[in-house]
Parts: sequence; structure tokens; C-alpha cells
Amino acid sequence: MTISSTPLATSGRPIRWLAGALMLVAALAVPWVGSPFIVHLAVLVALNVLIVNGLMLISRCGQLSLGHAAFAAIGAYASVLASSRLGLGFGAGVLVGAVVAGVVACALGWVILRLRGVYFVLVTFACGELMRLALLDGADWSGGANGIAGIPAATLFGFAFDTRARFYGLALAVALLSCLGIWTLFKRPLGHAIDAVRENPALAESTGLSVHRLQVLAFVTGCILAAVGGALQVRYIGFVSPESFNTAISIGYVIMLVIGGRQSVWGPLAGAMVLTPLPELFRGAVQTQHVFYGAALILILRFLPDGLAGLGRLAWRGGR
Amino acid sequence: MKRITTVAMLACLAGSGAVAAQEQETLKIGALVTLSGAGAAWGQGMKNAAEIAAAQVNEAGGLEVGGKKYRVSVVAYDDKYQANEAVTVANRLVFEDRVRYIIGPVGSAPVLAIQPITEKNGVIVMTLGFTARALGPDKPFTFRPNVTTAEVSQPQIDWLVKAQGLKRVGALFPNDETGQQIASDLEAAYRKAGADLAVKEFFERDRVDFVPLLTRMMARGIDAIELDGNSPTTAGLIVKQARELGFEGKIVRTGGPATQEIVNVAGQEAAEGMFVHTPIDADLPSTKAYAERYAAMYKHAMNGFSPAFYDGTNMLFEAMRRAGTVIDTVKVRDELEKLGDFPGALGTLNWTGKDMYGIAHQLNAPFYVAEIQGGKEVIRARCTVEGCQ
Amino acid sequence: MDWTVLAAQASINGLIVGLLYLLMAVGFTLVFGVMRMVNFAHGEFYMLGAFSAYFMTTGLHLPFLATVAGTFIGAVVAGALLEWAVLKPFRSDELNGMIATIGLAMIMQNLALMFFGPDPLSMPAVVRGATRLGTVVIPTSRLYVVAFALAVLALLYVFLRWSRPGRALRAVVEDFDIAAIQGIRSKIYYPLGFGIGVGLAAVAGALMAPLFSVSPFVGATPLLKAFIVVILGGLGSIPGAAAAGLLLGLAESYASLFLSTSTADMLIFVIVIAMLVVRPKGLFGKGEA
Repeated sequence: MTISSTPLATSGRPIRWLAGALMLVAALAVPWVGSPFIVHLAVLVALNVLIVNGLMLISRCGQLSLGHAAFAAIGAYASVLASSRLGLGFGAGVLVGAVVAGVVACALGWVILRLRGVYFVLVTFACGELMRLALLDGADWSGGANGIAGIPAATLFGFAFDTRARFYGLALAVALLSCLGIWTLFKRPLGHAIDAVRENPALAESTGLSVHRLQVLAFVTGCILAAVGGALQVRYIGFVSPESFNTAISIGYVIMLVIGGRQSVWGPLAGAMVLTPLPELFRGAVQTQHVFYGAALILILRFLPDGLAGLGRLAWRGGR
Repeated sequence: MKRITTVAMLACLAGSGAVAAQEQETLKIGALVTLSGAGAAWGQGMKNAAEIAAAQVNEAGGLEVGGKKYRVSVVAYDDKYQANEAVTVANRLVFEDRVRYIIGPVGSAPVLAIQPITEKNGVIVMTLGFTARALGPDKPFTFRPNVTTAEVSQPQIDWLVKAQGLKRVGALFPNDETGQQIASDLEAAYRKAGADLAVKEFFERDRVDFVPLLTRMMARGIDAIELDGNSPTTAGLIVKQARELGFEGKIVRTGGPATQEIVNVAGQEAAEGMFVHTPIDADLPSTKAYAERYAAMYKHAMNGFSPAFYDGTNMLFEAMRRAGTVIDTVKVRDELEKLGDFPGALGTLNWTGKDMYGIAHQLNAPFYVAEIQGGKEVIRARCTVEGCQ
Repeated sequence: MDWTVLAAQASINGLIVGLLYLLMAVGFTLVFGVMRMVNFAHGEFYMLGAFSAYFMTTGLHLPFLATVAGTFIGAVVAGALLEWAVLKPFRSDELNGMIATIGLAMIMQNLALMFFGPDPLSMPAVVRGATRLGTVVIPTSRLYVVAFALAVLALLYVFLRWSRPGRALRAVVEDFDIAAIQGIRSKIYYPLGFGIGVGLAAVAGALMAPLFSVSPFVGATPLLKAFIVVILGGLGSIPGAAAAGLLLGLAESYASLFLSTSTADMLIFVIVIAMLVVRPKGLFGKGEA
């Protein structure tokens, strides 16, 4: 890192902090200012930020997962079944979901992360489909296509998150925590190592970093974030079914990541904030919306590879 | 569809312009239906049914409730047959658009997902969802205007087993919530009628090649194929491929109106002699009038479920008139429950379902078993929930 | 039905289906071999081929042969233009190119939805009835498809083996750098390779249109099958795609005799994952993992 690129040297630093603070205030004010529908959208944005943060972590390490929704599914179903079959509370349920997802990701990742590029993408795609089929087929424990209904609201230490505003607070807190965690990570040596693995795996290996172990770490952490997001989501909606976690949803997460910015810590935030409410503008014309998504994807890949967050960075740096 | 919604709305406006002298409030009815992907045909039929009912009422000067006249408008959103989307749409309808009455959803998973919101906020829902869990004493605001497998299959299967001599039946179902529900309903019904649903095959919803599955089924020695639970095109493909494989037994479909599609896809020859369920007696004057109006307005034939939702919407209007309010949904709901012998497009309608669901929110309409002859349905038996003749 | 007849019927069914998988997979692997691009839009070209066949037959009343030929030529041209216009910047960029094709697929499917609506359309069958070979029954329409597919494959083989552009294309698939040194110009062969690849997908769609229905959603399953076949046979290997296509068709057909469909589907995915992990090059492939 050169001196000229460290944040302290950038003259825009106070403005950046001000903008960030304003956004935080706006986010906190939503339950009071917005209608229940707006709060609902805000909850979805927060959950998407959490899940796509996980995807970004995996992407920062040089791999793209097209089966991310499957890990959200693991988190969701594991936590719900832990509560209904084992009688565990909400917090413990989420923990169970995270642990199960982590174990599966570790076992899977250890084997498949040796692959690179498109091969890895295809494997994750296959895993996603396999998960969906297994959920559809296992009607005894998963409820099959009918899913599981009537999931009770989240409660922590007796405090029930059963109103929209309360749940938004929870989701927002967890999402911000994940953003903070990732931001801190990429200031640390571990974060730099992950970036190094992405940029030049051979070189990284030769400097003593274990590419494989770092990628497994990133993959497992990313999948755990998705699992927590999934576990929270089902507590909010109160219903879970396999169709909520299919390949189209995984592709949706990838779109959010790419349009938001794959390499930036704020990419998932930008992507989720823009793309989650967007369907509402298009709700009369679903096809136009998807044509727009496809075109946006291609244009961003071509002209703005760092996504919307990259645009932001251009603005901060001014004419550097 | 968006263009047609606009045209319908303009028609409503034009109609209400004629009585512009009177102050008109707008009554918004929400349509939470599938307009894209699987189930789009059903969703559009439901939305159009609500729009036709609204248009008719508006042409007559508006819905007169409690001394005020209301212009009825239908606000429709697409739930893409997904539970999560349905929840977002329900949020939008209930909190942004502030509707108190929702037509839809189409799917079972969506209706279960939105009920926490609609029941809590006293929003009356008229759903197509086939799952038995959609209705219940704990869900006092949900109604179902269309008959489902639970209502129609037993009487029809009893008749088919007796009159057509079915013994060993094979069936194919899509691997989704409707298919799984119907599979278990049918298995019980056939057993009760004295036959055996010996072979059940589930497949991915998008599948188009059934030859391997049919080969397997035919090897197990079935004398009839049951096609309830499949989309119209899928049913047509199965009929075509079964006949091409040389299957000579009977093909039946005890639910889900789909005859035109099946004849289109399978060809008249292959579809000849097939027994289908039909909710419509095309000769009944009220049904015919509705079908003609639908074709005139939307330029294609109506989907078989559409008349049920036309009737459901009209019953809703009548309940509002009797309750004298469009805002107090508890009162409207009570009046809706009390409606009996209602003259609808399908015939004389009553509520039923107390035994099966614990609450009488299932519409009991007459239905029929027909045989396809020369590409057209010929009614062979007339049925109610009690039985077929 | 006794077991030998059942096995024979399953074999024939499997080979016929395998032939169709082959058509999809060969095109897919050709695109990958030439451009190192996983083409997520491949299924949408299949879909467009089906619609083209539908409109040419019902609207223009062309005979089936002319329909298939017209569809192929149209798809090659359209594919080449699309490659040149949209995908050129991603030619050597595997991952981004793949994401770009996801975007392309979304655009194509939704434009089709906007123009044609979601309802499935039925094409009148080219021929009806069934043929019996001994005790095995084959729908005659499928025999027609087999005949056409074999014809297309024969033409492809002749093209790749004996024509100059065909040999150049094969060289590019084998080793792009050496081919460039030999003077083969990428400017022509990228669009040509892509065009022919998606042209094969469109032909598959046109051939299948009379058998199954035509709707904007028909592309998803063939794409999935193409993925599976190409992974098993090796990304970039044409003979691998051919062999794996037939194998997959047979495997699915036999599996459906004994297992429920969902178990069979899951098993196929497990095999795919195992293949990717154990031998990413596939049975015949030469790419590096």
C-alpha cells in the first residue's frame, strides 16, 4: 500500500465520514419515517446486505459461488428444525444454522476449492441444484414443496422481535456488524492475504501463504454469513420453502454483488440498496425489469468493472 | 396485460364519468396473482374475473353500499408463484395501497405465507391455493371460491371406478406443493372407491419428456392414467406421449380445467375418449354469458377457474351491500358467510367445508365429468360434493 | 412387459434423448473451446430456435427441412453478430464473460416473454403415430428427429474435418495461441465459433419444437443438460460431448426404470460434482482446472 492511497492522505476523509453518518441516521430513522411497506423493504435490504457480504468475501478470495442461496437454505432450515424438533430458542437456532452451514461449507470447500474459475462456478451451481432437489424430496423433515409454515417470530432473552420495526432493528444491527467485520478484516494482514490470493495465487503461495486454507476460510465465513441471513429471513417471513432458495435467487445475489462492486467492502451495500427495492418500481412490468437487469449487468461488466461502489470511489478521489 | 388493465380501468372511468354528478369514492380490490411463469394462465384468469366483475358494477353506476356509490378498481401485482414475493406484494397491497380485499394468490405456498399479514389486518382473501391448510377456524378471513381435489375427487372417482371400471391406476405429478397435495388426496380417494393408485411418479415441473416415466408405469401394468395436478400443457404432452407409446387404457383427469389445451397439444385423435373434470357446463346460460363477455374483453378463451373468481368477487360485492360498509371487514365477512343459494356464473352456490376444514369457507359449486369427443367436452355425469350421476 | 423388452425400450429411448443432448452439448463445448466462455445463454438460443420453427411452420408454412435450415442460418448470423457486438470485450475473460452471458440470457428470455407471452404454444406435429421395431415402440416423430439430428451431425463432421474454416476452427479449439501463430485470425473465428455453437442449439430447439411445446421457458432444461454433458465429457472436447451426451441419455433412461425421478436427478448431480472434483477435465477434455 502506497502512502498516497491510504485513507488518511485523502482530502475527502471528513466528507466521507459525514456521508456515512447521514446514511446511518437515515437507516435508523426508517421505522419512524416510512410506511410499513418501506420498513419491509428495508428489512429485505438489510438481510440481502448480510448475505451478499458473504458472497463478496468469497469473491475477494478469487472464487465466484453460484450456489450461495443453498447455504442460506441450510441456515434457514437448520435453524427452524432446531427450534421445532429440538425445542431450541431463536438464538440457539441461528447458531445451529451457522454451525451446520459452516461444517458443510468446510467439507465441501476443502474438496472443491482446488478448482478455479468456471469449474468452481459450475460445481457450486450443481451443489445449489442438489440442495434444492433434496429439500423438495425430503418431505418428512423439510415439508417438501409445501415448506414449513407458522414459524414463530424471533425472540432473544424474552424480547420478541415480532413487529416490523423491531425486526428491522435486529436485521440492521446484524448487517452493520457484518459490514464492520469485513471492513476491519480487510485492514488486517489476514485481509491483505486474501486479496493477495485473489490477485496472484502462485505468487501468494510462493510467499508462504496457504492459498487453499485461506480460500476455505473465506468460503466458510462467507457461507456462514449467508446461513445467518437465511435463518433471520425465515423468522421474518414466517414461512420457508425450497423455492425461496433456487438458482434464480443465487443469480440475484451475484447480480447484486457485481452491480454493487465485487472488490469493495461497500459493494454489497450499494448493490442491495439499489436492487432490492428496484422490482417495486417495475412491478407492473416484470419482463422489462429483467431486461434492465441483464443490460445493467453487461454494461457494468464492460464499463464499470468495480460496480457502483467503484463509482463512489471515483467520486471521492476526484480527479486523481 | 398491463395494456388491458389500463383499458379496463379507462372503461371503468368512462362508465363512471356518466354519473360524474355524484361524488364517487374508489374501492380498491387487490389482485395478488401469478402473472409470469408457471401458473400465469390461472393468475390472469383470476385477475380478469375480478376486472370483469368490477367493470360490470361500474357500468351500472358503481357499487352502492350504505347509501354511497363506489367505483371499483382492481390493483394487480405479480407474485411470480413465489412465497417471498407474495409476502412483499401483500405488504404493498395492505400497507401502501390500503386494500381490504384481495383476490388471490394462486399458489398454496404464497397463501400460507401471506396469511399472517392478511388475517392480522382483517383483509378478506379469496384464494385459489389448493392446500387444505389454507382454510381453518384460525383463518376467519380466508375464502376459497374454486373447488379443489378434496371436494371433487371422491365423487368423480367413485363414479369413474363404478361406471368405467378402473382398477389399477397410475399417476404423474409435478414435484411442487400442489402436486404433492393432490397426490395424497387422490391416493386416499381411489382407495376409498375400491381401486388402487398403484403407481405415483413425481417429476420436475419443467419436464417435457415423459417417455421414460410412462414406460416404467406401463411396465407395472396399469389400466388407466390419472392426470390431475398437472398444468394443461404437461397433461397434453403426457396424453400425446402415452398414446404414441401405445397405451390403450383409459386416461382421466379428475381436476383442473384444461381440455382445450390438452386437445391442442395432444391432437384430437390422442385426446379422444379421455375423461375430464370440468367446472363448467357450457350450456348453462349464466356460464355462457360470462364466457362470451370474457372472450370479448380479452380476445382469448377464459381459463376454467375464472368463473369461480367472478362469482367470488360478486359475492364479495353482495356481502358489502348487505353489511352496509366497505371498511368494516368483520361485518362484510359475516355477511359473506351468510350468503346462500347465490346465483353465480357457475350455477347456484353455497358455502361448505365445515367438516373438512372446520369452517365453511369453501364454495360448493356444481361440477361435471365429461368425455372428450371430437375435441369437445361432452358431459357424462353431473356432480356435487355429495356424489355424481 | 418382461425385462428384455423393457431394457430394449429404455435403450432406444435413452439413445434418442441422448442424441438431442449431444446436439446441445456439442454447440456448448464448441463455444467454450473457441472462446473459453461458459455460455449461460445457450438455452435461450435453443428457445429461439423453437420459436423460429414454430413461426416458420405455422406462419410461413414452410416445409420442415426448410425450417430447420433457415433456423440454423439465422442463428449462426445472429450469434455471430451478438458475439461481435456484446461479447467481444470478454473474449479472454472467462469469469466476466460467463456473467455477461447470464445477463444476455436474462435479456433474451424476457424479450421473448414480452413478445410471445408466457403461455406454451403447440406446434402441429410433423408426423403422428408410432413405429414398432419388434416389440419396441418408438413415436414416429422422434424417429424423424433422430434422422434430422444425424444429418446435422454428419454435416458438422464434414465441415470440421474437410473444410478450411472447419479445420481452422478445430485448430483454435485445440490450442488458440499456436493457431494464431499459424495465421488464423481471431476476428473471424470467434464470431464464427460462437455462431455455429449457438446455431446447433437453435437446431436442437427447432427439432424438438414439434415434440414438446414452445414457450420462453423451454431453454432452462436443455442448458442444464448441456452443462452436465459437457462437464462429464470435458469442457472443450467435441468427441467428449458426443460420447457423454449419449451416455447421459442412456443413464437417465435406465435410472428411471429403477429409481424415482428425483433420486435419479440427485444422483446425476452427485456424479457431476464427483467428476468435477476427481477429474475436472472430464472423460476426454484437455482444459486445465
